[in-house]
Amino acid sequence: MESLLTIAVLLPLVAAFVAFLFPADKPKNIRALAILATGVSLLLTLYIFSQFDRTQSGYQFVKSIEWLPSWKISLKFGVDGISMTLLLLVGFVSFCGALVSSEVHDREKEYYILFLALTSGISGTFATMDLFFFYFFYELAVIPMYLLIGMWGSLPPGKHGRTKEYATMKLTLYLTAGAVLALIGLLMIYFSSGTTDIERLQHNIWLASNTQMRAFPLLLFGFGFLASMWPFHTWSPLGYAAAPTAASMMHAGVLKKLGAYGIIRLALPLLPEGARHWANLIAILACFNILYAGWAALTQKDWKFVIGYSSVSHMGYVLLGIATLNVVGVTGAVLMMFAHGVMAALTFALIGFFYHQTHNRFVPDLSGLARKIPFIGVCMVMAVMASSGLPGFANFVSEVMVFLGSWQQGSTIFRVATICAVWGIVVTATYLLWAVRASFFGPFDEKWSMLKDAVSFKQKLPYALLLAVLLAVGFWPRLLTDIIKRSVETTIVSRTGPPEPDKPADVVPGNNLVKR
Amino acid sequence: MGFYAIQLECMLATWGILVLLVDVFKPFPNKRTVGYVMAGFVAVALLWSFCIQPVDGVFFYGMVRLDPLALYFKRLFLLALAMVLVMAAEFSPRIESGVVEFYALLMFCATGMLLIASVNDFILLFVSLELVTITFYVLASYLRRQEASLEAGTKYLILGALSSGFTVYGIAYIFGTTGTTNFDKLAEILRTQGGTPSAPFIFGMLLVLTGLGFKIASVPFQIWAPDVYQGAPTPVTAFLAVGSKAAGFALLLRVLYTGLLPVTAFWNTLVMVLAGATLLYGNLGAIPQRNIKRLLGYSSIGHAGYLLMGVAAVNALGAGAVLFYLGQYAFTVLCAFLAIVATTAATGSDEIPSFSGLGKRSPILGLALFLSMMSLAGIPPLSGFFGKFQLFAAVIGRARTDWHYYVLAGIGAAAVVISLYFYLGVGRAIYLQEAEDASPISVSTPMRIALYVCMGAMIGLGIFQRPLVDASITAAKVFGLR
Repeated sequence: MESLLTIAVLLPLVAAFVAFLFPADKPKNIRALAILATGVSLLLTLYIFSQFDRTQSGYQFVKSIEWLPSWKISLKFGVDGISMTLLLLVGFVSFCGALVSSEVHDREKEYYILFLALTSGISGTFATMDLFFFYFFYELAVIPMYLLIGMWGSLPPGKHGRTKEYATMKLTLYLTAGAVLALIGLLMIYFSSGTTDIERLQHNIWLASNTQMRAFPLLLFGFGFLASMWPFHTWSPLGYAAAPTAASMMHAGVLKKLGAYGIIRLALPLLPEGARHWANLIAILACFNILYAGWAALTQKDWKFVIGYSSVSHMGYVLLGIATLNVVGVTGAVLMMFAHGVMAALTFALIGFFYHQTHNRFVPDLSGLARKIPFIGVCMVMAVMASSGLPGFANFVSEVMVFLGSWQQGSTIFRVATICAVWGIVVTATYLLWAVRASFFGPFDEKWSMLKDAVSFKQKLPYALLLAVLLAVGFWPRLLTDIIKRSVETTIVSRTGPPEPDKPADVVPGNNLVKR
Repeated sequence: MGFYAIQLECMLATWGILVLLVDVFKPFPNKRTVGYVMAGFVAVALLWSFCIQPVDGVFFYGMVRLDPLALYFKRLFLLALAMVLVMAAEFSPRIESGVVEFYALLMFCATGMLLIASVNDFILLFVSLELVTITFYVLASYLRRQEASLEAGTKYLILGALSSGFTVYGIAYIFGTTGTTNFDKLAEILRTQGGTPSAPFIFGMLLVLTGLGFKIASVPFQIWAPDVYQGAPTPVTAFLAVGSKAAGFALLLRVLYTGLLPVTAFWNTLVMVLAGATLLYGNLGAIPQRNIKRLLGYSSIGHAGYLLMGVAAVNALGAGAVLFYLGQYAFTVLCAFLAIVATTAATGSDEIPSFSGLGKRSPILGLALFLSMMSLAGIPPLSGFFGKFQLFAAVIGRARTDWHYYVLAGIGAAAVVISLYFYLGVGRAIYLQEAEDASPISVSTPMRIALYVCMGAMIGLGIFQRPLVDASITAAKVFGLR
């Protein structure tokens, strides 16, 4: 029972090794293997979710293997409400990503091996309870991402004047720069606590104030690079634009969430004093994310750039929710990560669907596509509505929670930030509705008469599945918010909140630690 | 009894002489096979070395040690030699004459390296160092009709001779001021002096560090590395990158952490500054390079910088990290050079564009070269990642008491990002660019085995770090650092 989670996480990686042994001239088998592995992994995650004890706040399905005793490192997996939500996200997006990868016809073997390795790296980061393996899985995504974009990507020439090689190199360097910054912060935590066990660090250890103050910005900006925090976001729209469909789905949908997850899982609970100290800065940067990227999206003509900037802008809401440090705000941020992840994956899948046939995703060139591909058109309209925060979709719930949390926080900075964020919704709606109206409606252009819609169940499945998830969580958000809230309360708010006077801090002399 | 400590050295030297003599009286018909057989023999010696138990104590009047550290390095050198012999056999058609002598010189060079692993006295240090360096003078200029190779040999000779002169001059100062050349006695004398040595002693220490700095290609004695790496025959370059570098660090660790440990305050800052400068020079210098061997020359300077980070930390973590790093670095660099030798045999060019489309022309060579580049850059799940992780950990661990180490860690972090750029440049050629000539490249069986061993080690040690970490910690214990 405990091993189920470990299996769900490592299954894609095992499948990648198996695929390595398959002959390259039978790509169908490898594709089937990839769909099977991600599908089984999704089912296992769903099963774990159904068995998840919703009354508990701690880690469940914990499995620990001693790995490196001299460093006190162990391979330890476990889920709480926050990581459970995000593992579900990985499950859905990777399965749908594997399904829509049928458009790849070149070097399929390498493609699926890299895709599976990427999936395992991401779900490993979400499920691990060890600081070292957190970083290990986090960095594991670098090589697959570089190659996926470089080998199977495409970047139509535009004003940006860049090639896909440039885009993938930029993305890789930014992510690595962030990762190395975060590594220094994580090592500072390791040396002042003497342990890599995240659960212990979250509950039993209170680091010295000066360590907290110094390590927090390292973690914040280190993970912020991947969360596309302004002004370190420039790799992101370019990278998505150049990536093949499934890679954009994985990247915008889940990989980007790793950055925010790093802040929520490590920076806030381990360095609560640092978090309180730097919270205002996060809120200000979040506003820049929302408005700056929103405005940038207004001027874009390429569908993928529009969605790319939109996703940078949406990460602003996540960061704002994180900065509030209260239950409603952080819970909203986690739900936002889930909702936006599904929505971004859906949008990129839809763009990939028509781009594969039109070889053109330039909004002014497209017109009236919905007549030829009604199913895709309807899905796109729904995705755009979700993205603009219409009630009924998970995105709405999460955005409202972030606004409430931010307003509740009370200080002037957060009040102003809330107003900016609400204004951001209007901006989002403007560019998304423009893009969808211009390309899917209006007079039909005869040059797109060769378009074929998704007809079979197999073709429709990935889009329908992602939409269903968005609607299900939108109508019944307590499915996720209940478990997220409990974990946020115990791991974050109980530590970042003001210290309770009746529990005096117990100082361990010489060890630089204060136990609470 | 003393010969127990140097049995591996005796084996290598005897085998080298035997091969030379046999070839004089009855020349071998197939020089390539000789190389493979010798590689096999060295592999057996490597296995044999695991039957040798470390001995607590000294041999030959305190000159030689056989502690876990010595054995760790001896195994490393034997491994490198075996791989380099495979490479040399693969390379032999491009050597005009004296192929067997080439193998024999590699054996003699390795003998010197194995001795270096055991050094406990400045006299033996100088003798073994010269054995290594002089054979490298010959080996570097072995392609005697190629200007680049001759230039490499000459450069190495002039700068090497100069640094040897510095070393021996420094040893004279150290002997003159303390009356001993033995590391243990030196440490004892320095301790009784209360950690404040005389000015002439410091002068001598700096001169010795100059000589060692030349071996490891650290700033400011790094100028030779790119030229020699580029010009020398590829197997020799590989041996320089793996063996000579590890030998330099073996000496550096022995000298600094045993003999000169009581005067740490006098060299610690210097090593820190050199580490930072070496990191920046190597990694920035590599960016514009178009020749892969030259690129690896700069990269090897950069890696000397990473390793110096661990040396500068002066703690148990740092010493262990340096040893682990050297161990995994051997596999990584050998993998890269094996792939380069096999590819250039078909393409005839060391320029990076000639590696275009290698992933399609030969999946195994492409994968090997790509993985070794990623391991050099320190990306998981490859072994270079854990090596760098440990080095950074050692520095951050020390930074808690001395904030200057944060600066060093920051430079190291910047270097990692810079290095990823040029390593990915090679990766881009392999996978992202199309080859002009897309004909497949064939790979011989011994080469294939060597490549699989290296790749297996890179991935294996990246995921299951424990065996090498435990070995390096045991070896690093001989210094008694905290």
